Amino acid sequence: MLKLNNVEVKYAGVILVLRGVSLEIPEGTIVSLLGSNGAGKTTTLKAISGLLRTELGEVTAGSIEYEGRRIDKLDPEQIAKMGIIQVMENRRVLEHLTVEENLRLGGYIRKNNNVRKDLDMVYDYFPSLRSLRNSTSGYLSGGEQQMVVMGRAMMAHPKILLLDEPSMGLAPLILDEILEIIRRFNAEEKSTILLVEQNARTALGISEFSYVMENGRVVLDGPSSKLAENEDIKEFYMGLSRLGEKKSYRQVKTYKRRKRWL
Amino acid sequence: MEFFGLLVISGMMNGAIYGLVALGFVLIYKSSSVLNFSQGHMLLLGAYIFWFFVGSLGLNLFVSVLLAMVSGFFVGVLIERLTLRRLIGQPLISLITVTIFLSLVLEGLVSLIWGTYPLQHVTVFPSSPLRIGKMVLTTQSLFAIGLALASATALIIFFRYTRIGLAMRGVAEGHQIMQSMGISVKRILNISWGIAGIAATIGGILMGGTLGFQLGLSHIGLLAIPAAFIGGLESPEGAILGGLLIGLSESIISGYMGNAAGVPAAFVILIAVMFFRPYGFFGLERIERV
Repeated sequence: MLKLNNVEVKYAGVILVLRGVSLEIPEGTIVSLLGSNGAGKTTTLKAISGLLRTELGEVTAGSIEYEGRRIDKLDPEQIAKMGIIQVMENRRVLEHLTVEENLRLGGYIRKNNNVRKDLDMVYDYFPSLRSLRNSTSGYLSGGEQQMVVMGRAMMAHPKILLLDEPSMGLAPLILDEILEIIRRFNAEEKSTILLVEQNARTALGISEFSYVMENGRVVLDGPSSKLAENEDIKEFYMGLSRLGEKKSYRQVKTYKRRKRWL
Repeated sequence: MEFFGLLVISGMMNGAIYGLVALGFVLIYKSSSVLNFSQGHMLLLGAYIFWFFVGSLGLNLFVSVLLAMVSGFFVGVLIERLTLRRLIGQPLISLITVTIFLSLVLEGLVSLIWGTYPLQHVTVFPSSPLRIGKMVLTTQSLFAIGLALASATALIIFFRYTRIGLAMRGVAEGHQIMQSMGISVKRILNISWGIAGIAATIGGILMGGTLGFQLGLSHIGLLAIPAAFIGGLESPEGAILGGLLIGLSESIISGYMGNAAGVPAAFVILIAVMFFRPYGFFGLERIERV
């Protein structure tokens, strides 16, 4: 459905951020993209959604194909209209607008009269938003704002939903709730989901297939259940030692495992 | 007392028009953070285009107003398309500078087409004396107040309750967010300029109808700036109230202290308001939460 072939991205024409990233996202699945800060996860999402072009970034080599059509030269508005919607990180609500106004704008590109129905769908996924519908979104809590931005994207009935770190700064309980909603949305609305995460446990738990990125490259990929068993993933992303116990920090200095993929 | 009443009425008339022009500032500032210094000259051009329809072509008054509003929309759209669109992403100061010099271009255009002398008077509003108690008013000023307030209200309703109005408020919050939802920021900015053009044209017709069609009409743009600031640059309602405040104080102060005092008084009020409420009375305060 969505395919990235050897995508290379440069910012301002000189700063190389992605060095040949290839991904494949089959229809109807949840795929996660793992990696630490600066690995190029967000850039990958922005390359897909076209938002890269609003920040002087550019796909300089390789191609991005969506249903057989190249989209790496299109404007972000065109890409969104094709059904690829990105939820940016840091909960970017339209601060001075109310919750419902935010949601309405999410459905702006759908030129139908079923806004009411779509709003109900979102309130069904996020019941707490219904009572907050007339509150100014800038004053909501972090978890509520995350619900607003996700609900806003759902209003567009995306074919592919690109989620950038929904877990950032959320309490574990709220995170569980949000993950459950992502799973439901994927199952009920047949939306394909590409999830970017630093939190490996979260990402591997929810997705069917995962990619691990480092330094602008994909270094490892495979079915999530298999990656969760991988020694390197366990050690470097989940902080577990080989015995499956919490890592003892006493040993960190003396023993440092080499990453096998380097 | 009658004198005071008259001052209030004429102050409200001017104030309502200032408010309408200030609304034009707000529309553009809100969606693009650009203060459009050519708003007063858009008003001038709008007034002259109206005069062209009604005076030169001899069309019906109502039809001329409609045609002038349509033209005003396209003037705004064209200005955005030809100048500001090319500067998207450039420092704000260069965009604002462009609007300052754009005003000179518009003035030049108007004098090139219509000359620099005032145009022949056309009657926009029926002008008959009207008595309220001991006061003698002209119906003209009442018409102007009514029309200005009605169009301002229509614009506020548009802004608040229509799809495009909502999109404009969204664009004001963040361009990238809007793009991520597939909404074309360029198109929305373009429409904002068009609507600012309509507001300017209505103001121009009202001003021209009372003061006559002459190049000096553009000065009102300068007086609408304090109106917009006092209301808080982001609030349409604030723009109208700011306009009324400026209009009333200008008229009352020049009534009792002489004409020379009126205009500076408006700016003194602006400065005083800025001291106490830097966001204006209705401006959006920055939301800060962590």
